[in-house]
Amino acid sequence: METDDLILRLAREVKPVSARALETRLFGCVAAGAAVAFAALYLTLGVRADLATALTSFPFWMKAGYTASIAAIAIVVAAHLARPDSRPGRWYALLIAPTLLLAIAAATQVATSPTAQWPDLFFGMSASKCSVRILGFATPVFVGLMWAFRSFAPTRLRAAGSAAGLASGAVGAAIYVLYCREVSASFVLSWYTLGILLPAIAGALLGPRLLRW
Amino acid sequence: MNVTEDELRLLMSRGLNGDAAAHESLLRSLAPVLRSYFGRRVHDAAHEVDDMIQETLIAIHTRRMSYDRARPFMPWAYAIARYKLVDHFRRRGASIAVDELEEWHAAESFEDASAARLDVDRLLSGLPDKQQAVIRSTKIDGASVAETAAKQGMSEADVKVSVHRGLKALAAKAKEQ
Repeated sequence: METDDLILRLAREVKPVSARALETRLFGCVAAGAAVAFAALYLTLGVRADLATALTSFPFWMKAGYTASIAAIAIVVAAHLARPDSRPGRWYALLIAPTLLLAIAAATQVATSPTAQWPDLFFGMSASKCSVRILGFATPVFVGLMWAFRSFAPTRLRAAGSAAGLASGAVGAAIYVLYCREVSASFVLSWYTLGILLPAIAGALLGPRLLRW
Repeated sequence: MNVTEDELRLLMSRGLNGDAAAHESLLRSLAPVLRSYFGRRVHDAAHEVDDMIQETLIAIHTRRMSYDRARPFMPWAYAIARYKLVDHFRRRGASIAVDELEEWHAAESFEDASAARLDVDRLLSGLPDKQQAVIRSTKIDGASVAETAAKQGMSEADVKVSVHRGLKALAAKAKEQ
């Protein structure tokens, strides 16, 4: 086809694009994925029956704060990587804050507990299932993000894929918090983090293939 | 390449607001810019270059929400063109040898250079033709004063004076902006 014809054809479909169209699309797709993940949680494991009580407890907000802050940072990084000409670099440095806070909480709990309880702090009741479940709830969010990226122009596909994976892992983990009864910071620091990193690694591996345009 | 960053950016933001005519003339202005970008780097059949121009125009059209109105336009467009260029090489299975890396760095700075050239063009266009020609020849194309004098049919002293006056005028203009 001639370039002139192509230009005419493209100029026939010019819909207005709002100034924050990229962010709107990104958040919309994350929200859609999160809704699917929540429905899956609700139908399979169910929301913990004592959620109302949990809402006033420290462990709940520790888990919610840790996962939600990672999700927010990763979504900002993903939004940057959705543009072809941006360098997100420094945003990842913010991840130090939630990790450090959680590490302090974990260290405090370990230090104030008798040695006999340390395995319980680390393994809780669900260590073998937690990370895999988070990976599962991350999947619909990841699919949503990959869909969102179809209108974006990422040029660093591995970085964009891993940011999308990290964001979906963190959102999946935030949803899993609605079910999970674990109370130990060491547990969250190890198994939640693993569950969040698994989709990030998957995203880094799949990014170059899925995000190509 | 007689379009400036400001003009393209204006066309882009009008297009984003739904102005189809502005969008069309944006794509039209970009086609020759992309032709020179790819032509310089891809030494294949002409239709390959045409394909890459078209793919880039399609990407610029369908992925235009990834442009941030607060930022300059050409770096965004070149980033898309470069992605298409790298993709082109990757698809052909060509790996970039280490000794070609230098060229890649040069290619990257070419983008900055061409963005800068758009600005230079705009500034130069306000000067008398003679001054424009000698500045272009000596300062941009890198010809010597003697070569320029021969090419322009001027004396060497005349070239030097013209360059000097022209640069002075440019400096004054640049300061105004």
